[in-house]
Amino acid sequence: MKALMNEPLATRENSETQADWAWSEFADLYAEHSRAIYYLALRFLSDPQKAEDATHDVFLKAFRKMDSFRGEASWRTWLYRIAINHCRNLQQTWNERHMFSNADEAVWENAVAKTDSPFQILETRELGERIQTALDNLPPEYRLLLLLVADEQLSYEEVGTLTEQSSDAVRGKLHRARKAFAALFQKTE
Amino acid sequence: MKRETKLNSEQQQEQTAQHQSQQKPVTEFATMEEMLRFDTAQTPVPTGIAERLQRSSADCPKPSRSWWQRLFERY
Repeated sequence: MKALMNEPLATRENSETQADWAWSEFADLYAEHSRAIYYLALRFLSDPQKAEDATHDVFLKAFRKMDSFRGEASWRTWLYRIAINHCRNLQQTWNERHMFSNADEAVWENAVAKTDSPFQILETRELGERIQTALDNLPPEYRLLLLLVADEQLSYEEVGTLTEQSSDAVRGKLHRARKAFAALFQKTE
Repeated sequence: MKRETKLNSEQQQEQTAQHQSQQKPVTEFATMEEMLRFDTAQTPVPTGIAERLQRSSADCPKPSRSWWQRLFERY
């Protein structure tokens, strides 16, 4: 698969069967999107092993369902949809997360942090751990929103579609999510 | 006398270490999104996933041609 990932389409032999063709295209998809999908799974599930399993399962599902891809969304959005459903199912099954009520959301409304202040980091090696700690303490909905919005390939509309809400709702929640994240991130220093 | 010299040397080392830590470059991210993108870029995808995928998909029926035909129709 690694070899396929680095091989441009044009150089592939014409004698490839249709199945090989499909596999080659899939390898390209994997090469382009696996980092985004793995990162989402890692930061959403907060467990490298579960994230690895989830990424494998997401791409295997995608491989099996490729026929159903109709091009109405981008490949990235399509893969994210599979990943989000998969991670949510895992979360429900494992029941590992603290469930946040609406009352908890009020806590985030009042979080004291300036969202327009830059984040200053001394040790980038520890950045991942600090981000994870902050995300772990956020409601899952906010965590997901922040992770999706950080992907430059997604518009607010696409984030809204993926999280089943309007883009205006995304913007509104994002403001609170950013504020809450900034407050939690400051605490990780 | 020797002890005094050793202490001075330790103090000097400590001061140098403090000085160095004060001079550490600060990485600054203007936004949370920028910081997450940096974190994404420095988070490698485990190589084992691709290998597992290749094994797992070997037993799957391969997708038919239709999906990639559609893909090329789009571009």
